[in-house]
Amino acid sequence: MSLRGKAAIVGVGETPVDRLGGKPGEPRKVTAEYLSWAARLALEDAGLTKKDLDGQGLAAIYTTNHSQPFWPEEAANILGIAPAVSLAGGNGGASAVSLLGHGAAMIDSGVVDLVLVVAAAAPFSERGRTRAEPADTRDFEMPFGVMGPNCKISFVMSRYMHESGMTVDHFGKIAVTARHHATLNPDAYLRKPLTLEEYKSSRLISDPIRLYDCVLPANGGKAYIMASPERAKTLRRSPVYLLGWGERNNASAGPRSNANPLITGILESGKAAFEMAGVSHKDIALLALYDDYVPIIMLQIEDLGFCGKNDRVFFEKTDFTIKGDLPIQTGGGMINCGQPSTTGGMLHVIEVARQLRGEGGARQVADAKVGLATGLGAVNYGKNFGCTAAAILGSEP
Amino acid sequence: MAEEKKEIPKPLPEITPVTQLFWEAAASGKLVMQRCAECRSWVWCPRPACVECGSEKLSWTPLGGRGRIFAFTVIREVVGRALRGFAGDIPYVTAWIDLDEGPRICSNVIGCPIEQIAIGMPVEVVFEKAGVGISLPKFRPRS
Repeated sequence: MSLRGKAAIVGVGETPVDRLGGKPGEPRKVTAEYLSWAARLALEDAGLTKKDLDGQGLAAIYTTNHSQPFWPEEAANILGIAPAVSLAGGNGGASAVSLLGHGAAMIDSGVVDLVLVVAAAAPFSERGRTRAEPADTRDFEMPFGVMGPNCKISFVMSRYMHESGMTVDHFGKIAVTARHHATLNPDAYLRKPLTLEEYKSSRLISDPIRLYDCVLPANGGKAYIMASPERAKTLRRSPVYLLGWGERNNASAGPRSNANPLITGILESGKAAFEMAGVSHKDIALLALYDDYVPIIMLQIEDLGFCGKNDRVFFEKTDFTIKGDLPIQTGGGMINCGQPSTTGGMLHVIEVARQLRGEGGARQVADAKVGLATGLGAVNYGKNFGCTAAAILGSEP
Repeated sequence: MAEEKKEIPKPLPEITPVTQLFWEAAASGKLVMQRCAECRSWVWCPRPACVECGSEKLSWTPLGGRGRIFAFTVIREVVGRALRGFAGDIPYVTAWIDLDEGPRICSNVIGCPIEQIAIGMPVEVVFEKAGVGISLPKFRPRS
């Protein structure tokens, strides 16, 4: 089944991100407020009202700090809508991109012709909640002091440096480029230019991962609305069409007890997205890559086939800025715009939509007609990401 | 009055029917993992059935406890609340060890100055008592 051109993004909404609740006595908002706010912004952007969503699709993404088993229903309840289909984003940071495909399939099958995808999280404001962990993490990582994703991605990065010869300069170039784009984005959280020297002298958190390799946790909400192509044509915004999509979960490059951690499921999900879209790498004007950590951006560029594995020279030669050969993280990425838990992945879908609508302002990529967004979620024991998804979006169907 | 410092405990594994034999062996100083009787694959972490072929014929099989460091990190900060009990150990090393038989295990490298730890370093298992009936398999350099 191909979903090419079968659905389009017709509205996007993002609340500002903040870190309220990090300090005692600060005013705070709860998840429901960010959720409601983001949904309203997306509806306004699309020129729809919440009444239009009754009998349509609603997708809510589980978050790490505010999840109960009926979360999509609670989201509908918070918003006051009666969806005909509730979808759950259970793929962590990959959910935003996964749901592009799941929503498009519901639309293409004629069950609904609108889907609201919404996510929100307030990890600072709602601090202290217990988080359930997968059994492997609970039993075979935490007792050894494996300090969450920082530590697990450090294993991957340590091996990546060992096999590829990439150095702090290679990672620093990516961090500096993303921050440069953030300086051009009024919605970014970190907007002060970053120099390579500042990157290199930032403190080590979990060697070789340093402060500026890491995503910035935040509170916030994000939403997008999808519609059938017919419905999209009646709405106020230029539709951003889904051209290609792929998802791959629990990928293992090699035996499951001894996989290659430098190959992610993006190898397969990206390939599926390119095949469905029928576009070539040259057609891609920008990449919005899931970026909880800098080295992961590079592994995805490799897995998507823009270069070979461990291709040091490619990373040295390529200009990744908005004016360059292969623009990446054009709004600054999550590392600079903040990661409200699993809501963070929505950023990349929304950034591609904005660029393809020509709303990038100072960070606009010239003549952007096709862009690619990825999502990653869950870091599996001894490997890398459990959930991966890739989507290719276009301004023409 | 002297301030009494309450020690924050480190998390321990939850012993389940699927993992019980691993922890029982560890408590008696033996490293075991499941191996599939049908396709001969190693299965790690413990599972109800083989993750390669689906067979339920898994047998707990002893390993030599020797391997090499495949990747490692030095933990320098506590992140989040669940692992505050490790604050006093910082800096410490967590690593992926590739065992000689094939499977990769996540553990700590101990008994060695951090600066000397490197990818490829040969290591061997040593069991460290962590709680009642629970010993954690850790690794130290071997010559």
